[in-house]
Amino acid sequence: MDTFVTIGQAFDIGEGEMMQVEVTGTKVAIANVAGTFYAFGDTCTHLDCSLSEGDLEETTVTCACHGSMFDVTSGAVLQGPAKKPEPSYRVEVCDGTLRIEV
Amino acid sequence: MPQTFVIVGAGLTGGSAAVALREEGFEGDLVLIGVEPEVPYERPPLSKEYLRGEAPFEDLLVRPPTFYPDQGIETRLGIRATKVDLEGKVVELEDGNCLPYDKVLIATGGRNRRSPIPGLDLEGVYDLRTVSDADRIRWEVAPGRKAVIVGMGFIGSEVTASLRMLGVEVSVIARSKLPLDRVLGEEIARVMESIHRDQGVKMVFEDAVEAFEGSGRVERVRTQGGRVMACDFVVVGLGIEPSTEVVAGSAVRIENGIIVDEYCQTSVAGIYAAGDVANHYHPVFDRRIRVEHWQHAIKHGQAAARSMLSSHKPYDEVYWFWSDQYHSTLQYAGFAPDWDELIVRGSLQQRTFVAFYLKGGRILASVGMNRGKDVRQSMGPIKAGVQVDLARLRDEAVQVSDLAES
Repeated sequence: MDTFVTIGQAFDIGEGEMMQVEVTGTKVAIANVAGTFYAFGDTCTHLDCSLSEGDLEETTVTCACHGSMFDVTSGAVLQGPAKKPEPSYRVEVCDGTLRIEV
Repeated sequence: MPQTFVIVGAGLTGGSAAVALREEGFEGDLVLIGVEPEVPYERPPLSKEYLRGEAPFEDLLVRPPTFYPDQGIETRLGIRATKVDLEGKVVELEDGNCLPYDKVLIATGGRNRRSPIPGLDLEGVYDLRTVSDADRIRWEVAPGRKAVIVGMGFIGSEVTASLRMLGVEVSVIARSKLPLDRVLGEEIARVMESIHRDQGVKMVFEDAVEAFEGSGRVERVRTQGGRVMACDFVVVGLGIEPSTEVVAGSAVRIENGIIVDEYCQTSVAGIYAAGDVANHYHPVFDRRIRVEHWQHAIKHGQAAARSMLSSHKPYDEVYWFWSDQYHSTLQYAGFAPDWDELIVRGSLQQRTFVAFYLKGGRILASVGMNRGKDVRQSMGPIKAGVQVDLARLRDEAVQVSDLAES
């Protein structure tokens, strides 16, 4: 389904930073990794903490609560305690506007 | 000749080592022996999500049960290994079978400490280590029932929180002055105490159990200080002692667990130990430490696997763990048996803080509540082991990860 939703301006998220947005009831985290944007589920699959409040290092996000690590490019679990991956969403930047596919 | 590696102990460490051995390309025979009937699982939820009925047992498994046969890992579960015979190079099982080995990893963990308290065997008195222990406690839980928790370490604190969350009336008795004060120090322990108090937990400190009493089943706890606490059930959490029997009396050196170097190697070649049972040398803290936490269990098991495959990489992970109690997450990184200064960022009163334990100007450990990011970032400066500028340490504007730089 090619439903892209506009979520904001790219310049709102600095390099190495993350932001939480809500798209049709789903909490999504957007990460800016050296100018490339990635979108993934913001709710940690372990115990529901917000991943955008965690730490972003290159393409790895670390949950602030229990240290689960996910690959922001795919949503894959890199280190537990989480065992289930995060959903991953396509992102496009059009004229400085961030849109994600849901 | 393919080699045979035997892992004694199928907890998180043994399971993680088995996974790592296959991931690192070990193609020999691999046997995993466990006294519990289950494939390796993680214990932290047993005092929290699992105890509260929020997570099914399957969520706790290190790998699904099919993983082991798929990976050619032979599991011997529900059976105790009685001895590692160093001369015969076999692991003896309680059913009389012997498993030959080329290398052995001992990951037997620990068992709950049981002090000789009268009435400890009464029905309704529990301790918590295994999933069946947790199941037994779950059966007792109902709103309005009365529980007494003995000991306020991590197990006692977390079980207290979980039972309160389920509506159980909880009273606590502990020898310590405050919850977790030995690990966290008085200032932080006071925060923990206030959290339990806010939740309506009745706490008695600096007292101990004289006897559990009741006719057939526990009905009350009598304390050395002369108190009588009525209850429907009891959970005892007095810590663990390392399970070293498989090498007792052998050339494998035992002292507060099995002594290993930074490569998980015991005093006998070919015999390794990791996890709760291993009193290991840690290069960052330059001493031997025995640690009983989740992340260490995994990483130490992986380190042992690497060493068994002859890689020469020391285990120098900075310890890190969490403890969820009610809706607060406490995190701790490093290791500080004692310290000369505690520096706090944030507010203890508002329960949002990170605190640093220092000795001689060096950060040995940090603890945080609801500031997990700062605790994780402190692992760099802790590992670096350098003196930090105290003014910068106090300054919220300085990122914790940058503290090692001046």
